[in-house]
Amino acid sequence: MSQPDLNAKSRLISQAELDKWLDGLARTQTLIAPRNVSGVVLYRPVAGSDEIVKGVNRPAMSVKEVFFPPTERLLTIRKTGTEIHINETLPEGQAVVFGVLPCDARGVRLLDALFLDTTPADPYYARRRANTTLIGLACKEMGPTCFCTSVGGAPDDPTGMDMMLYPAEYGYMAEAISDKGHSLLAEAGWPETVLGGTAPDSTGRFPTLEKSQWPGHFNDDYWMKISERCLSCRACAYVCPTCRCFAVRDEMLGPGEFERIRCWDSCAGENYRRVAGGHRPRAEKGERLRNRFYCKFFYFPGQIGLSDTSACTGCGRCIEVCPAGVDITEVLQDLERLA
Amino acid sequence: MFEPKIVAFLCSWCSYTGADTAGIARLKSPANLRAIRVPCSGRVSPELIMRTFDQGADGVLVLGCHIGECHYDTGNHRAAKRLPVLQALLSFGGLEPERLRLDWVSASEGERFARITTEFTAMVRELGPVHWRWEGKRRQEESRDLLISSKTIPLPEMDFTLRTESIRAKARELLASGQVGCVIGYETSQRGRTRPVFIYSPEEVGHLVWNADCTHNLSGYLVDKLPANQRERSNENGSHLRIGVVVKPCDSRTINVLLAENQLSREQIHIIGVTCEGMRKEGGNLQERCVSCQERTPVVYDTLVGEPVHPVDQRPFSQSDEIIAELNKATPAERLEFWLSQFDRCIRCYACRQACPLCNCPTCLYERDDSTYVGMGIGLNEKRTYHLGRAYHLAGRCVGCNECERACPMDIPISLLNQRLAVEIEKTFGYRSGLAVVPSPIVTILSGEYKED
Repeated sequence: MSQPDLNAKSRLISQAELDKWLDGLARTQTLIAPRNVSGVVLYRPVAGSDEIVKGVNRPAMSVKEVFFPPTERLLTIRKTGTEIHINETLPEGQAVVFGVLPCDARGVRLLDALFLDTTPADPYYARRRANTTLIGLACKEMGPTCFCTSVGGAPDDPTGMDMMLYPAEYGYMAEAISDKGHSLLAEAGWPETVLGGTAPDSTGRFPTLEKSQWPGHFNDDYWMKISERCLSCRACAYVCPTCRCFAVRDEMLGPGEFERIRCWDSCAGENYRRVAGGHRPRAEKGERLRNRFYCKFFYFPGQIGLSDTSACTGCGRCIEVCPAGVDITEVLQDLERLA
Repeated sequence: MFEPKIVAFLCSWCSYTGADTAGIARLKSPANLRAIRVPCSGRVSPELIMRTFDQGADGVLVLGCHIGECHYDTGNHRAAKRLPVLQALLSFGGLEPERLRLDWVSASEGERFARITTEFTAMVRELGPVHWRWEGKRRQEESRDLLISSKTIPLPEMDFTLRTESIRAKARELLASGQVGCVIGYETSQRGRTRPVFIYSPEEVGHLVWNADCTHNLSGYLVDKLPANQRERSNENGSHLRIGVVVKPCDSRTINVLLAENQLSREQIHIIGVTCEGMRKEGGNLQERCVSCQERTPVVYDTLVGEPVHPVDQRPFSQSDEIIAELNKATPAERLEFWLSQFDRCIRCYACRQACPLCNCPTCLYERDDSTYVGMGIGLNEKRTYHLGRAYHLAGRCVGCNECERACPMDIPISLLNQRLAVEIEKTFGYRSGLAVVPSPIVTILSGEYKED
């Protein structure tokens, strides 16, 4: 397939045009985009395009929190006399997320596999997913901790998006990926550029273990060694686009009123897998850190039938946030070397 | 008219009886009071008070026996020490400090009970409804420009090679002679990041480095590395296995606190102290905590690397001090807004707690399944309770290593809370944590020097 002329003026959407369009979107529905919140870039509702952080900043949290918020009320329980009323609280409202990174969209696809493709589908997640449009923005370059190319992604991978924007020298090219994206593009009246899949990018690529090789490393001393510095905090899991553990609890709101909430949880926590009686099968932090890697590269891909792909999207956030310097790329390369 | 909800914690031995005395004497006391009978004012833990405000109380009154009359001798001394610190913390967090009051009422002082409760209720009524508990959603607003760096201090010139060499030589000696089983130090990762490293053999000491990014407080790993069951384990020579650790002056203060709290014993560790001119923050300038560092030389060590430097007498003013001063000047409502917008970003990942070398409870009060002090939700109220509660638990203990703030993936200026309390503790008790093996005055018993106003 011949490459279209990527800098032809007719194909390009100028920054001004894009901003105007985003301002229009923000007026009619919730527009979520990277925003500077006291010095931290996060996906947050914005009032207009001027609030959107432009450039190469990767938001500190992935787009996961839009669909799977840190805390979510599932239902409320009200007790009057002998009667108990249960009211399911499904999320409302349409939203458009702008500036989604390809690695984050890949994360959403992985969450879909768990929350949507397994039965029963998660109604809260499903509702948010159905009511949200993802507008992707291809990365111009890979950041210092990015490694999407080593785990099957690419900085300009449009899969999982509804619409994708590719920055060019003097503006953006737009590509509609889903039906939602097509209608959005048609409404905007923009030309579409079908890139038809770019050549696989090998920037900064390093070899990783085959899935079948993982079980052989389960009992390696390596895990205890690299986990010595681990602090058992949950930062890596909470910033991860694909970590999806949660805990559910009923909490009292007032006399006779309760809510059922679900909150993020993580295998890094000391309570992970604790059972009645207090036994913790993953009591050592090394076992829990190992679990994190096995979950990404072995357990989760196996559970949801991803044959060769990993549940890591290579966004590199965990490397950035780890207070003790645990580095997933180093672990992957070490394992490959040990193999 | 607004009628405030007042929760009164009454000591069973005096104030509760005092309330009865007031009733028998047919003295009027306000109906706003919800009395909670407690065995002693010393039982009223700060968590209870915070929970009371979290649940919507407009004012909290704690009444105990007069000093010197405690049924348990020193219970009210505890209350007298704790509550002013809590009040300072809640006030810094944006609550009007007047909403919390500690006072003394004996069993016979019915008139005093009626007067204090009436006065307090009138005062809270005047203040109006409390806006402590956050209801509903909030859009994240930019917090005030307090946190924007105005001036920065460049990193001083330091010779890292020499200190790196000395640390390696000492570690080699300690490991080769079997004096220690492990040395905890710093290494540079493949990515070029400095991080903690655990060295077990003399051949590995080449990994050890010293540079301007050795910011981690390694003393937190000691407690983990020396579990109770290992304390008795001996090496081949029959001597107890010890751990060597590389510390900066700030970290050395942590070790003193750990020793004072019996988390370690001195003979279990070999401290390689390194004199320090400060660590680098992102962008290359000196970290704020290092600007105001007074020590420069470790306060406790077995081996000193670098030339000893005289401690600074007067605490140098840093930008964090400026921010704290700004916040102190602001109105409670402004402080509340500031902290809510900061805590809003929190994801409750507990990185601050895990990175803190002094947060060493086996199970955190705020993470217990049966916690009655905070819910599991990652909501604004819960997050604030967690942060303020943690800051309170570190009052008089925190040495200001700022690991909490460094570990925070959301860049929340958590250490401001700790610093504010350190100032309060120094003002009240003339105490700075970790300078000697002395526990925090807030957890010890006063020996009768407390005088009632």
